[in-house]
Amino acid sequence: MVKQPGELIEIDVCGQICPSSLLTALREVNNHKELLRSGQLQLYILTDNHDSTNRICDAIGNMGYHVEVKDKNSYYEIVIAKIAAQKRDSRS
Amino acid sequence: MENQTIILVISAFLGFASGIIMHRSDFCIAGMFRDLFLFRSSPLLRSLVLLIAFSMLLFEIARLVGILNYSLPSSLYGLPSLTNLLGGILFGIGMVLAGGCVVGTLYKLGAGNLPAACAFLGLLVGSALYAEFHPHWKQLTLATRLGDAATLPQLLQLPPTLLICVLLLGTGGLLYRWQVKGLLLRPNRVKGYLQPRTAALLLAVIGLVSFSLLGMPLGITTSYTKIGAFFEQRLIPEHVASLDYFQGHGFEFFLPISNQTLHAGAGPFWDGLALIQFPLTLGIVVGSALSAISMGKFSCRFDIPRCQLFSALFGGIIMGLGARMTPACNVWHLLGGLPILSLQSLLFTLGLLPGAWIGSLVLTCYVLKQ
Repeated sequence: MVKQPGELIEIDVCGQICPSSLLTALREVNNHKELLRSGQLQLYILTDNHDSTNRICDAIGNMGYHVEVKDKNSYYEIVIAKIAAQKRDSRS
Repeated sequence: MENQTIILVISAFLGFASGIIMHRSDFCIAGMFRDLFLFRSSPLLRSLVLLIAFSMLLFEIARLVGILNYSLPSSLYGLPSLTNLLGGILFGIGMVLAGGCVVGTLYKLGAGNLPAACAFLGLLVGSALYAEFHPHWKQLTLATRLGDAATLPQLLQLPPTLLICVLLLGTGGLLYRWQVKGLLLRPNRVKGYLQPRTAALLLAVIGLVSFSLLGMPLGITTSYTKIGAFFEQRLIPEHVASLDYFQGHGFEFFLPISNQTLHAGAGPFWDGLALIQFPLTLGIVVGSALSAISMGKFSCRFDIPRCQLFSALFGGIIMGLGARMTPACNVWHLLGGLPILSLQSLLFTLGLLPGAWIGSLVLTCYVLKQ
């Protein structure tokens, strides 16, 4: 489920029971806060639940991170990164 | 029964519209209560307050102008008993573990969600299981009855309109403050997203149409029991024949559109309840599926952790049991009973709170443990 290509961690919680996506996002942000804050790491949360995009963006945004939602057709990709960090170009 | 086709079409349309609305706004009532305890913040719960208050306003106006005719106690909302509270607690636990309430399960199922399919299966099992101990539960209900008043105005011996005006003034003030502060509005980060406050207003209108044309507010759990009973009938017909709950036709309601009083039950037979609730249930799933497809978000994922699937199934069973024991589901009580101040519905809602709290604890300790 979790891939680690260098400075990116992608977590796929599509189809999972609510509120798995928010709890997973909070856990991963806490686990990697040093790397995230220093801009060495970006988290990608993949979810198909559209209310999760709001909940994750609100909660993680309030913790002082840059949060962005990208619509990837069958799912949403929520990018969590250091504020003002240069946005990584889309992989699609 | 007259006008069967019209009833079927109206009911299917109401379900279809509800499915689209709930999917687009992610109107998850289970989540609203769960987040209150899990995250100490539940932005969507404000939309539920709006839905209940607006329904209260619409139902009362409709009653005063004669569009809506009901008198309680009746089969719709009877006399309060402690079992309403107990059923509410069980329902609250179940809906949190299942990841959605009885309609939340349907609109998530429509979008291709596997845990919702497990919860749906659980709901059928739980609803049918209740038939095994219905006579004992009925005795407990009678033994723990809490007086002869069915509604809050009856209990307080006040005119319903007066009490409703007072309540609406208080709730209206609260909603106005939320609106001014922008707390009723959710961020619009996703294309095709319907604001929950708009969904709340639309669902209240759907509730009014259902109540005034079909004689009952939105409700679907008897159809779960019936589906369960139909399966049981195929497997063990003698046993089904021996169960009082499946043989009774004690649910009596007036169907305005065909101007007749009908008797219905939870057993494996086609009756007025099936005619209204089956198309409604199917309509929600189809509406949600079409909404998900049009958004490009219909997807079936099978790589779901097993404990989540088990939780959904188990939660569905408990929710199904709770819905029969209360009796009726959260949609029936929150969107139909609370607006007309049914004491049964007030007790059910009171039970939902500790239930959702217990469910949240179990969910985070065992199912989604960090």
